[in-house]
Amino acid sequence: MTADDSLREMFAMIELEMRRLRHDRTEIYTRAIQPILWLAVFGSVMSEVRGIPTGGIPYIDYITPGVLLQSTIFVSVFYGLTIVWERETGILKRLLVAPASRSATVIGRSIASGVRAVVQALIIFPVAILLGVRFMPNPAYIIAAFIVLFLVSGGFAAISIFVASLMKTRERFMGLGQALIMPLFFASNALYPIELMPPALQYVALVNPLTYAVDAVRGLLISGDLSNLAVDVAAILVFDVVIFAVASVSFKKIIE
Amino acid sequence: MAFAIEARQLTKTYNGQTRALDGVDLFVDQAEVFAFLGPNGSGKTTLMRILTTQFRPTSGEARAFGLDVVRRGAEVRRMIGYVPQETSVWLDITGRENLLVYSKIYGVPKSNRKERIEDAICAMGLEEVAERMVKTYSGGMTRRLEIAAALLVKPRILFLDEPTIGLDPTARKAVWESLTAFKKEYGTTVFFNTHYMDEADHYSDEIAIISRGRIVKSGTPGELKRSLHGEILQLRFSPNHHQNQNHNGFDERALGKIRDLDLVRDAVLCGTQLDVFVEDGERALPLVIEALSSEGISFERISTARPTLDDVFLRYAGPLSSGRGGDGK
Repeated sequence: MTADDSLREMFAMIELEMRRLRHDRTEIYTRAIQPILWLAVFGSVMSEVRGIPTGGIPYIDYITPGVLLQSTIFVSVFYGLTIVWERETGILKRLLVAPASRSATVIGRSIASGVRAVVQALIIFPVAILLGVRFMPNPAYIIAAFIVLFLVSGGFAAISIFVASLMKTRERFMGLGQALIMPLFFASNALYPIELMPPALQYVALVNPLTYAVDAVRGLLISGDLSNLAVDVAAILVFDVVIFAVASVSFKKIIE
Repeated sequence: MAFAIEARQLTKTYNGQTRALDGVDLFVDQAEVFAFLGPNGSGKTTLMRILTTQFRPTSGEARAFGLDVVRRGAEVRRMIGYVPQETSVWLDITGRENLLVYSKIYGVPKSNRKERIEDAICAMGLEEVAERMVKTYSGGMTRRLEIAAALLVKPRILFLDEPTIGLDPTARKAVWESLTAFKKEYGTTVFFNTHYMDEADHYSDEIAIISRGRIVKSGTPGELKRSLHGEILQLRFSPNHHQNQNHNGFDERALGKIRDLDLVRDAVLCGTQLDVFVEDGERALPLVIEALSSEGISFERISTARPTLDDVFLRYAGPLSSGRGGDGK
C-alpha cells in the first residue's frame, strides 16, 4: 500500500458522500431545523434578557458560531451510524480488502463527513444572515471559519467511528451519540462565556475541542478578534491527529 | 507453476477458545472454479477472510499465486476480487456510481476507468439498470452489481462468499452464466463458498468439503460422487413407532447393526429418512430389511438412488441442519 492508494481512497470517500448528498438532501434540510430554532427562538429571546456578558455583541450573533458548530458536529457524531450500517452489510469487509490502508479508510470517511458537515453549515449560514446576524464582511475570514468547521467536524467524525467500532449496534450507538452532543455543547463557550461556569465545568470546557472551535469561528465570523486563533487552531489539529490515530487503531476491531 | 491458492496447516482460534480452522491444507489450481462446501459454522467464511487478508491465521500459512497473504497482504489485495456474503454496495447511489467509487478505491487508472466500468456492467448484464438507484434493484441485480465491482480490477482470483444466497433460481442462473462467461474470457480463478450442492456440481471444477474446521474430502464433483460407490437405499420410516428410542424413532444400536452388515458401506440418518450406502442394492436390500425388522422398526417406503453431491455432503460433513459452533464471523 502506498500513500497514493490512501489518498485515492480518501478522495473516493469524499466523492461518495457528495454523490449521496446529490441524490438525497432531505437529511441536510431536516437537520437544519433545530439549529435554526436555536437562533430564531432561543437567540432572539435571550437577546432581550441581556443577562449574559457577550462583550457588546448581540446575543444571537454571539451564539451563531456555536450553533453552526453544533449542527456540523451533529452530522459528524451520527456519521458513525453509517459505519455501523456498513459493518452490518459487507461494505467494510470489502474496504478492508482494497489496496488502501485502514487509517486511510478512517481518515477518508472522517474527511468525507467533514465535507458533509460543511454543506450543513452552508444551509444555516444564509438563514442566520436573514435573522439579522452580522458576519465579518471579509471573505477570507469566512472561508477560514469554514475550514475550522471542517477540521473540527472531521475530528468528531473520527470519534464517531471510534465509538462505532466499540458499540457495533445502532441502538447502542444512538444512545451514546445523543448522550455526547448536548453535554459537549453546554460544556463549551457556545452559549455563554466560560467565566460564567462553575469551576469544575470550566476545566471540562478547557479540554472540550468545541470550546476552541467556537472561539476560532467566533473570532473569524463575528468579533474579528483573532488573538487566540493560533492557539485554537493548534488545539483542533492536536485533537484531530490524536483522534484519527485512536480511531484508526480501533477500526480493526469493528470487523471482528 | 504456482497454485492460485495454497494453504498449509492453517488454523484459526477465536478468543483462544473457538477453533474455527483446525489444520486446513488446500491447493487450488490456476483458472479453476473451486467450490468450498460446509455446514454453518464449519469455518468456510473464516478461511475466506484469511485468504482475502482480513484476518491473520493463528498458525500455518496461506499463499495466493505464491504470495504470503500475511506478509505480502498489500500485493495480494491488488490481484484479488472479493464479494462478501452481505450487501456490499451503497444503496443510495446508482449502480454506475457504485462502480465509479469502487474503481477509484481499487486504484483503476483513470485512462481505462470508463472502459473497465463499461466492461463490468456488460459482463454482469446490468446495462439497463446501471443508472438506477441501487435501492430499486432486485436481489439478483444487487448481487450482480457486487460481482461487477469485484471485476473492475480484472482479478486473478475472485473470492465469492455464498454468491447466490437468497436468490431465486432464475437470478442464480443469471449470476452463474455471467460468471462463467467472464471466467472463460479472462481465465480468472474462482473460489466460492456455498450451501447449494447443485451449484457446486454444475459450475465447479473441484470441490472441498469442510467440517469442524477440517477438510474432510476433496476432488472433482464426479470423483466425489464415485467415492460413495454403488447405490443408496433410501428408507423412509414412520416416526414414533417405537417407545424408548431417540427422537427419530431410531436408535444407535439399529444404525450400528446396519452399518455392520456385509455389502453396506455406510448408513446416515437424516430426519425420518435412512440412507444406506451399498455396493449392490438388489442383494443388500433383503439384509437391511431383515436387520430393521429384527429391531422392530417399520418403514413406509423404500427407494434406490445414485449418489448425488448432497449424499456426498451428508456422508462427509453430516446433515446441514447440525449447527456447530459460531458462524465464523
